[in-house]
Amino acid sequence: MTVERRELSVRGTPIHLLTAGAGPALLFLHGAGGAGRWLPFQERLAKSFTVYFPSHPGHGGSPDASWIEHISDLAFHYLDLLDELGLDRVHLVGASFGGWIGAELATMVSHRLQSLVLIDPVGIKVDGWIYPFLFGMDVPEVVATVFHNPMAALALAPPDQSIETLALQYRQGAALARVSWNPYLYDPLLRRRLARITAPTLVCWGAHDRLAPLVPCSETWRKEIPGARLQVFADSGHVPHLEEPAAVAEAVIDFCRPETGAR
Amino acid sequence: MKFYYFHLMPYVMDHDEPSSWVTLSNRYYDPKVGQQLYNQYLDQLEYAEKLGWDGLCVNEHHQNCYGTMPSPNVMAAMLARRTSRAKLAILGNGLPLRENPLRIAEEIAMLDVVSGGRVISGFVRGISAEYFSTAMNPTHSRERFYEAAELILRAWTEEGPFPFDGKYYRYPYVNPWPRPLQKPHPPVWCPSQGSSETVEWAAKRRFPYLMVFTPIKRIAQIYGEYREACERYGYTASRYQLTVNVPIAVAPTDAKARELAQKHVMWVFNVGLRMHPPFWRPPGYLTEASLRRLLATSPKLPSELTFEEADREGYLVYGSPATVRDKLRVFSDELRAGILCSGMSGGSREETLEMMELFAREVMPHFREDAHVDETAGVGR
Repeated sequence: MTVERRELSVRGTPIHLLTAGAGPALLFLHGAGGAGRWLPFQERLAKSFTVYFPSHPGHGGSPDASWIEHISDLAFHYLDLLDELGLDRVHLVGASFGGWIGAELATMVSHRLQSLVLIDPVGIKVDGWIYPFLFGMDVPEVVATVFHNPMAALALAPPDQSIETLALQYRQGAALARVSWNPYLYDPLLRRRLARITAPTLVCWGAHDRLAPLVPCSETWRKEIPGARLQVFADSGHVPHLEEPAAVAEAVIDFCRPETGAR
Repeated sequence: MKFYYFHLMPYVMDHDEPSSWVTLSNRYYDPKVGQQLYNQYLDQLEYAEKLGWDGLCVNEHHQNCYGTMPSPNVMAAMLARRTSRAKLAILGNGLPLRENPLRIAEEIAMLDVVSGGRVISGFVRGISAEYFSTAMNPTHSRERFYEAAELILRAWTEEGPFPFDGKYYRYPYVNPWPRPLQKPHPPVWCPSQGSSETVEWAAKRRFPYLMVFTPIKRIAQIYGEYREACERYGYTASRYQLTVNVPIAVAPTDAKARELAQKHVMWVFNVGLRMHPPFWRPPGYLTEASLRRLLATSPKLPSELTFEEADREGYLVYGSPATVRDKLRVFSDELRAGILCSGMSGGSREETLEMMELFAREVMPHFREDAHVDETAGVGR
């Protein structure tokens, strides 16, 4: 499939955006390390949707934006992107860190979401769980924490160890740390606000997630978002869309039922 | 040249853990041993004043066996009452690590008043690992440092009360009691490892720059940049703005000194600074420009330094008194450093005190052309 790559300015913030496919608009918000990676998951979605896949500022091909200091800044940034693209309503799919941004956005403007799919999101304080501190881990430790199937990690492996690549990784880490170092991976205000979400919501979860385990994390999300449905992926860790891309894509397509238009 | 006795107050131990920082379990810390060590180290610092050292240095580190002084101000407080002449150089307080940096302005002022104006106040960001042990966001480090420094300097120099409304620190009333004794305020030093942003910041304010554990070629380069920056700001750097921290081992013979350095100085690099790699590089702690410079030079991690490399690159000085005198000439005459901060370890309490005596007797007097000069006059403020 031809993937269109373009640079655009969102209320003065330059970003890199991938677009492909046809059908209803679907905004995909990536997790840490996922910027600009057009993989089988996106490829499958693009057969049923027009997929918009932006890189968060400071990630992938999007330059750093120092004004982004809080997770809500990113949520507002994506509201601006919807306006910039002239999209009134979209299906929103967010994975991990991208799920956190998507949930923040959904608490602000649920009416602009035809549906919301969260894949192993972080972003809320879950009783009885403290997220392991990825910033203090080396690569093997991160892979062991994030992936149930470590071979799936190869899709996110850096192309080389050049100064350019290392500088990009550092920039991505800094952009992530700026909004998530402390409190680590959550916004203390978000959990209570999840009750405002009115969009139909699917929560996807890897059965073997070690960063945000199925129990107690998935259950908390399902309870806090009114009417949310939970679907578990038996052979996945924290990133089912990388570990079981076909199954997760089918689940998204099935849930959003694009053939009937808006749900 | 002026001599300052520098202490890390390490908890010297061997272990096989991957990191001496952040995650090295404090179950290894035996408070009974700690009691011996603290008192032994304080004895050394007090003795250094008696032997003729001009200053005594303490510093802040957290959660490690490398340096067990989470609060340098506590140690300086003990020294303030047990010494009477030496400068008390606190190198320094980690400004961005504090939620309330006004507390630093207060504590330094207390120490300055009690000690009769002997305090030197180091302003540091705290090393990388400290952002893991305090949970402070490393991406805020630089901004918090500049803002806290401004707050503290204003708190020392402006009549209170006044409001302060920064991005990170906000106070309706800034009005610390006591005020510092030294005017306009205690000298400020910038201990650093050579980021160009810090060189610039320190040079602009006439704050002495202290190179810590750095190869000699890099010291020469950074001193050059600092001196050049001072010229750009319209003045010539005093030699007392150029300070250096280098460990020294001196013994009656070169061979004996080499043996002591190999054992005790190398412990600091190989064990004390052994760090799980992610702790060296928290995201956003360095500017991207500094990161690229670092990647381009890719210096060896201290834990990987061999003694031969450390020796060759000038990370340390060791030898008989005559050899040490020759080596220190490089610092005094070639680098034109005004102040040499050094820690020493001979192993046991007695051996360390003997090493200090030997240094004070046979090395120090050869560098005393400036005995009458007050190194803090006109610098650091």
